[in-house]
Order: sequence, then C-alpha cells, then structure tokens
Amino acid sequence: MQPSQFLPGTLYMVVLRTLARGPLHGYAIAQKIKEASEENLAIEDGSLYPALNRMLVKGWLSAEWGISESNRKARFYSLTPLGRKQLQAESKEFERLVQAIQLVMRTV
Amino acid sequence: MRSFASRFAEWLRRCGYLARKADFDEQSNEEAQFHIAMRSKELQNEGITPSEANAQARREFGSVLRMQEDSREAWQFNYFEQIATDIRYAFRQLWKSPGFTLAAVISLALGIGATTAVFSVIYAVLIHPFPYAAADRIIRIATEDKGGNLHRVALTGSQLQLIRKANCVEDAVAWLNWELNTTGSDLPEDVKAVFITPNASNYFGVPPLQGRGLIPGDAPPAGNAHPVVVLSYSFWNRHLGRSPTVIGKTLQMAHKDYTIVGVLPPRFAWNGGDVYLPLQISYDQAQLYGISIRLKPNVSLRAAASELQSLFQQFAKDTPTRYPENFRIHLERLNDQYINGFGRMLYLLFGAVVLLLFIGCSNLSILLLARGAARQQELAIRAAVGSSRSCLLRQLLTESVTLSLIGAGTGIFTAYAMVALIVKWLPAYSVAREVVIDINLPVLAFSVLLALLTGILFGLSPALQMIRPELEQVLRSGTRTIAGRAATKRTHNMLLAGQIALTLLLLTGAGSAIQGFRRVTHVHLGYDPQNTLDVEIPLHPNSYVKQEERAVYFETLRRRVAGIPGVTSVALTDHAVPPFSGAMQRVEIMGESGREWHQASLNLVSANYFSTLKIALSRGRLWDTAEASHGARLAIVNATMARQFWPHGDPLGHAIRLPELKPEPPFRVSIPASDGWLQIIGVVADSQNDGLLAPVKPAVYISSTIWMDMGMNLLVHAQTSPRRMLHAIRQQIALVNSDQQIPDYTPSLDELVQIQPEWQQERLVTMLCGIFAGIALILAIIGLYSVVSYAVAQRTNEFRIALGASRNEILRGVLSSFSPSIGIGIGTGVLLAVGLDSFLTKLSEGTGGHPVIILAVVLLLASACTCACFVPAWRAASVDPMTALRNE
Repeated sequence: MQPSQFLPGTLYMVVLRTLARGPLHGYAIAQKIKEASEENLAIEDGSLYPALNRMLVKGWLSAEWGISESNRKARFYSLTPLGRKQLQAESKEFERLVQAIQLVMRTV
Repeated sequence: MRSFASRFAEWLRRCGYLARKADFDEQSNEEAQFHIAMRSKELQNEGITPSEANAQARREFGSVLRMQEDSREAWQFNYFEQIATDIRYAFRQLWKSPGFTLAAVISLALGIGATTAVFSVIYAVLIHPFPYAAADRIIRIATEDKGGNLHRVALTGSQLQLIRKANCVEDAVAWLNWELNTTGSDLPEDVKAVFITPNASNYFGVPPLQGRGLIPGDAPPAGNAHPVVVLSYSFWNRHLGRSPTVIGKTLQMAHKDYTIVGVLPPRFAWNGGDVYLPLQISYDQAQLYGISIRLKPNVSLRAAASELQSLFQQFAKDTPTRYPENFRIHLERLNDQYINGFGRMLYLLFGAVVLLLFIGCSNLSILLLARGAARQQELAIRAAVGSSRSCLLRQLLTESVTLSLIGAGTGIFTAYAMVALIVKWLPAYSVAREVVIDINLPVLAFSVLLALLTGILFGLSPALQMIRPELEQVLRSGTRTIAGRAATKRTHNMLLAGQIALTLLLLTGAGSAIQGFRRVTHVHLGYDPQNTLDVEIPLHPNSYVKQEERAVYFETLRRRVAGIPGVTSVALTDHAVPPFSGAMQRVEIMGESGREWHQASLNLVSANYFSTLKIALSRGRLWDTAEASHGARLAIVNATMARQFWPHGDPLGHAIRLPELKPEPPFRVSIPASDGWLQIIGVVADSQNDGLLAPVKPAVYISSTIWMDMGMNLLVHAQTSPRRMLHAIRQQIALVNSDQQIPDYTPSLDELVQIQPEWQQERLVTMLCGIFAGIALILAIIGLYSVVSYAVAQRTNEFRIALGASRNEILRGVLSSFSPSIGIGIGTGVLLAVGLDSFLTKLSEGTGGHPVIILAVVLLLASACTCACFVPAWRAASVDPMTALRNE
C-alpha cells in the first residue's frame, strides 16, 4: 500500500514528536517515522530537508554536526524549548480536531 | 499572532545564515550525500548490489540541487519578493480605478507644488535675499525732514572718515555712480560704472567668480587709483560673452584703458553696476560720495541712529544747504524697501498656499477613506479565505505608499515648474536685484513628508478598521453595515466640511486680491501714459558749462526729435517723469514770516510738458517759448499745492521761491539768482507724482531753462508706439552731437507704470491667488464627486433592496446625507472669512473681504458642490435594479 501523504500542517508536528526523545540526523528521522507508522507515513526525501531548515529558521530545532553510528559525519537535529512548546500546542490542536471529526462520524 | 520577540529572533537567525552562506551549500551537499549513503547501505543489506543500491538511493532522493535550493529558500529573506509582488498588485489596483488615482495624484501634486513654490519665493525674496556677508547689518542712511520725506545722504571724504570711526560702525564703503561707455570698438556701449572704495571686497564678502576683487592696494592713499576693473556677471555675460580668458585683458572705457582683474558671481549686483572700479577718496569739499555702512553686531537701529544723529548734526552745521532743517536720521536695512510692500503680500500668499496644502491632503484623505469603505467587502472576503491580517495590511500599505510616492513625485515636478513660472512672471523691480529664486529644499521635503504621511495614514484606514473584525456580519449583510458605520461617516463629514470651509476662505481671499488689483490699475493717474517714451540725455562732465549753451543744446535736441515723422510732441523735463516726478525742495511763500516750513515737489519742464502728458490746466496760463528761452521766473502749481498753501485764496499772482535752487557749476547751471522769487501764473490738475497709490504731493513746475543738472529727459509722444522710432531718435541726436550717448534703457510711460511694484505685486499676487483658489475649487469638486460616487454605489444596494425606490428617492437620500456637511462647511468658511477680515485688511492694505465678494463666493461654491453631488448621484441612480441586486 502506498504510504499516505501527510495531512497539511502535520509534517512539522510529526517531526517534532520524532525528535522529542533525543537528537537524530535527517535519515534517522525519516526512518523513525516510517517504522513508527508501520509504513503508513513516509516523507519524501526531497521535502524533508527543506522542512527541517524551515523549522531551524523558526527556532524549533537546533542543529549540530556529529558522528553517526557508522562513523560518518552527520548533522544532528534536536528540539529546542521553543520546539517543545510548539509540539505541545500542535498536538493538542490536532487531538481536538480529530475528536471533533470522530464525534461527527459516530453520531450523525 | 507571533510576538515581536520571536519575529526578531527569527530575523536574527536569518542574518546568521547570511554570514554563513558560503558554507551552506557545502554542508547541505554533505548532508544529502550522507542520506544517500545511508539509504544505499540499507538497500545493500536487502541484497542489492552496491552500484545498483547507490543508483537507486540517488534516484529516490531526487535532485540534490533542488533540495539545496529549497533549503536555502527557507533561510532567505523573502521580503523583497513579497514587496515586488505587492507593488505590482498596487499598480494594478491603481490602474483599475483611474479616476481615483488621478484625483489623488493631482491633489498631492498641486498641494505640494504650490506650497513649495511660494515658500521658495518667500525665502529667496524676504528671508535670504542678499549674498553679502552679514547683509542684515548693512544700512542705508537717509535724512527725514519734518514733512516725513526721506532724502539721500552724500558725504565728503573727511566726513566719511568720521563716519568710519563711529562707535556703531563696523565698516563703510563709499561710491560714485558714473555713466561710462566702451570705446575702442565699433559701437559704444553704455557701462554703468560704480567707483567704490577698495575695501568693498571685505565689506561685501562675496568671493569673485574669477580673478580677484578690489583690494586696498588698488587705491593707495597717496597717488591715483590704479586702472583696474572688476566686471559684474551680467556685463561679463552681455559684453564679453562669458569668455573664460578675460582676466588680464584690457577694457577701454571713455578712452581710458583698464585691466580686468576679476569677475563677480551672478548674485552680486550692488547699485546695479556693470563694472566696479577702485575709488580714490578725495578730500575736496565739493566732492560728495554715496555711502553704505555696516553696523557692529548687536547694535540696534535706534542706538545707531542716535549716534549718527549727532554726527550728522555736525555735518549739517558745516554744510547747511545739503540738509533739511530739523532732520532726523532714518536708517533702513537693505531689504526694508522691498519688504514693506511686497513682503506682507507674500506672507498673505503663503497663508493661502498652506491652506491649499491642507486642502490637498484632506482631499486625498477623503478619497482614500471613500475608497477604503468601498473595499471593505473585498478585504473581508480575502481575510476569510485565508490572507493573514499582516498580509492584507502590507498590501494596503504598499498601495498607499505607492500612491503617495507617485503623488509626491508629481508634486516635486510641479514645484519646480511652478517656481520657474513664478520667476518668469515676477515683476522686474519688486525684489532686490541680488535675489535668485530657487526651490527651497527643506520646505519641499516637509510637503512631501506631509503628503506621504497623509497618504499612508488614510490609506491604511480600511485595514485598521479590521482590527476588530466583524467579518461574518460584513460578509452576510453586504455593505449595509458599512454605509452606516458611524465613525467613518463622521470622519468623512468632518473632512468634507473642513475642506469646503478652507476652499471658501481661499476663494474669498482671491476675490479680495482681484478687487485690490482693479483698484490699483484703474486708479486715476491724472496723466496719459500711452505712446510716450522717456529718453534720457546725460551730459558728459564739463560740457555745456554755461546756462545759455545748455538750454540751447537741449532745445535743439528737442526740436530735432520733434521733427521726426510720426512724433506728435516732445517735451523736456528733468526730475518730472511720472509716476515718480519731482524732487522735494523747500518753498518760501512771499508774505509769510519764514518760520513756516513748506516743501513741494520741484519739476523742471518745458511748456509743452502738460500738453504732451495731457495734464489739464485748471486756471491761469502756461509760459510760452519766448519766456522760456529768456529763463523767465514763472511758476505753475498743481491743485494739491494750491489747496495746501493757499487754502482760502487763489495762488495766481502770488510769488514763491526755492532757496535751495542754487547753481553748482560746472555741474548744475542756472540763470542768475535762480533762487529768487517766481511768480505763479497757473494751476494744473493733480497727477500721481509719488507712485501709483500714495497721495499726490504738492508740486511746482518751472521752466527747465531756469536750472539744469547734468542731463535732461525727452518725453517723446508719437501716434503709435514710439519705440519704433527709437532708431530715428538716436540718429537725430547723433546728428546734433555724435558723442551724446543714450542709455539703452528707454522706457515708455506705460512701462513705468507697470514696473511699479504696487502694480506688479498686485498682479502677481492676484494671479497666484486666483490660480490657487481655482485649484482649491477643483480639488473640492473632485473630492466631493468621488465621495458621492462611492456613497451612492454603496447605497444602490440599500435602496434597491426595498424594491420600488425611485431614482428621486435615491437622489434625495444622497443629497440629504451630504448637505449637512456642505452646509456646515460653507457656514464655517464664511465665519472664518469674516473673522479674518480685519486681519486680512491690515495685511493687504485695505483690500479686505467685501460682503459682495463673500456672497458671490458662497453662491459659486454652493452651486459647484451641488453639481458635484448631483451628477454622480444621477448617474449611479440610473443603474438597473437587477444589476444592483446581483451585487448582493
């Protein structure tokens, strides 16, 4: 089955959540999302890095060069306190929306 | 909305990117390669060959360049792109509503242009007219006699030294004006030479354009003045074609060679001299010099006058004939003679123009507000669809700024054009010679700034109103709510009323100015200036030193010129060229004790002076040619003198004498005992002799043969314009005396009237006031028209919803909603005009607001406003009801 596209506006939220446990490099973020969603969600490689840059600009992430598990140089992204706040806000909003839709679907 | 702090932080991060731009591409490439390598490894773990895995990983990743570009974009300031889009959008919007754009731009352009132009003139003419160092301390000295008349002062060399040493005086120059001509080339050309003490360069402090100015060494205390000359800019332009290599060359004047040592810049025009030569002060008691002094800093005119008073009392004791009895020293700053008349009018004009600027800005505001109200719906829709408020605000701001900039740009252009126009129209003698009128940049900047602020503020109003958005309401009810928004309406009405009031004030001012001008031009002159030319005949020093010789010479010239075909009559006169004719002299009346102080204006004329100028003889007779050639002691007085000196009787038969009328050979010659008794034989009608508006002075006319100065004027009257005969006139004069020079300047009497400052100033101010008032009226109409158009467009829905609303009802509705503003505006304007009337009267010397003018203006404005309301209402009310409904 083809992995579905991200709902508009949720890409940032998902990436932020992925980084909540600790810093990861770009490839690891993409892997994590694929695994955690059981292959249902996938980020296009071409749009991952621009998105990460945008989040850097907004101050939700910070980046540092480090050594990966395969001893290669890689850029690691981590959440900033601002990013954590953003994650909280977005996930709350998402929950609200989803519950509202579910209500409609069940009751109407 | 995100806080300012977070936005600032983001801005800082972007700046950080700019610093690291070079590394960015490299690093993002590294990241991409890492990603691809990891994917490739994963694929190899699944069993794909390394080369295949690499290829596939690369394919999956997509274009690395693309990824780099997109990543880069995240960091870049995209403001410029946004702004570019906004500007394009703004231009499109403005292009779509050409009427509005044109109206707004015109309002701004005219307001800015007129204000800057007039203030530039004021600055150049009143505030900073002279290029001389410390020009405000340079003083003209005059003596004022009991009758309040001013006399020029001339001093001898020794008196000059005393003045120089006075406490209040910082420096002084002395001069002699002389008429020279260029010799040694084909055509002799007139040269106005000013001999001036060589400290002039320091005194005036104006650096020369080329070469040097005069230095004290040019006129050493012992010996003669060196034959050097400094040229004025106009002479250098006129005579030498601005040739760059004049320094060191020779200029021959009156058969003497002078070395050119310098050229002065254009603004230096002291005494209107063409050339300036070093003056050697001689201590001969008979040689008199003109004098100008500069006061020390912080010396008041009063203090200086009292100190000089005692000095001049001493001089008067030494040479009592040169000073009136009981005189007072009168000091005048350089610009005073120009300020008193024209200055006040200029300030009046400036007031008018500031009004115009405000009218222009308020007009712009009205237009923008009206348009903003009309766009509420559009903005609401866009906001609902997802445009952020900041995005909308930014677009509106761009639009306002674009419009304001266009208007301001046009305004700057208009300002330059108007200044050029004013300079062209400026009457020749209403401002000091040294004045150069240029755009005053601070005022231009101020006007432009004001216009920009107005444009931006009122252009943003529709977006600012959305701070409290009632979007749903707006969308649902169309424009019903908008038309009734109280705040907008109030602002609208206030602006409208204000603009109408100011326009009325301006129109009234223009009306008064026009009335004043008519008074000046149609004043009864008392003589006929048409078709009469004034030709001056100056004498060379030491020529015709005997009275008979001189009288015969002038009479010969007169007769020769009178013989030219087309010439009807030629009169001789010295000192009697109207409208400033005569020189004030003491008069004694036979039979009075001599303690009485009388003065009258002395006019030396030939007998046919009165017929040439068509001045009527009321009583008695004129002298005839025989009596004139014998220098008979006869006099004629004008009606004013008859009335003042003989209030209860008839002057005919009485005798008067002019005790100051003494000869000073070889310059001024006269019959023996010229200061003896003269018999009054006639009374002539009054004619203006002290300018166009001042009351007629008492005047006495005697034959020009009695006393003659170093020159005479021919008044040549012809059937048509005598200027055409100028060549023949010069010829005839040259036939009598080939060395007789005629100045280039030979004005007609008509011109002499028209160059009077009063005439010209009134004309200029009237023209400008009329133009500005016209502009204000046009602006008011434009503003009103636009507002009504918009208002009607809004209401078309309102009224048509209640189907069956007739056109008349719509019209009535619109007119009734606007008439209060118009009415209040007119009322306020009338109140203002009447209230300022006394103030205006003082400023413009008696041309205050006449009730008839105010009434006429009110009618004009009211009808204009009604039309401006009616036409758009009529047009819009004819809209098909179905179209109106569809808008809903």
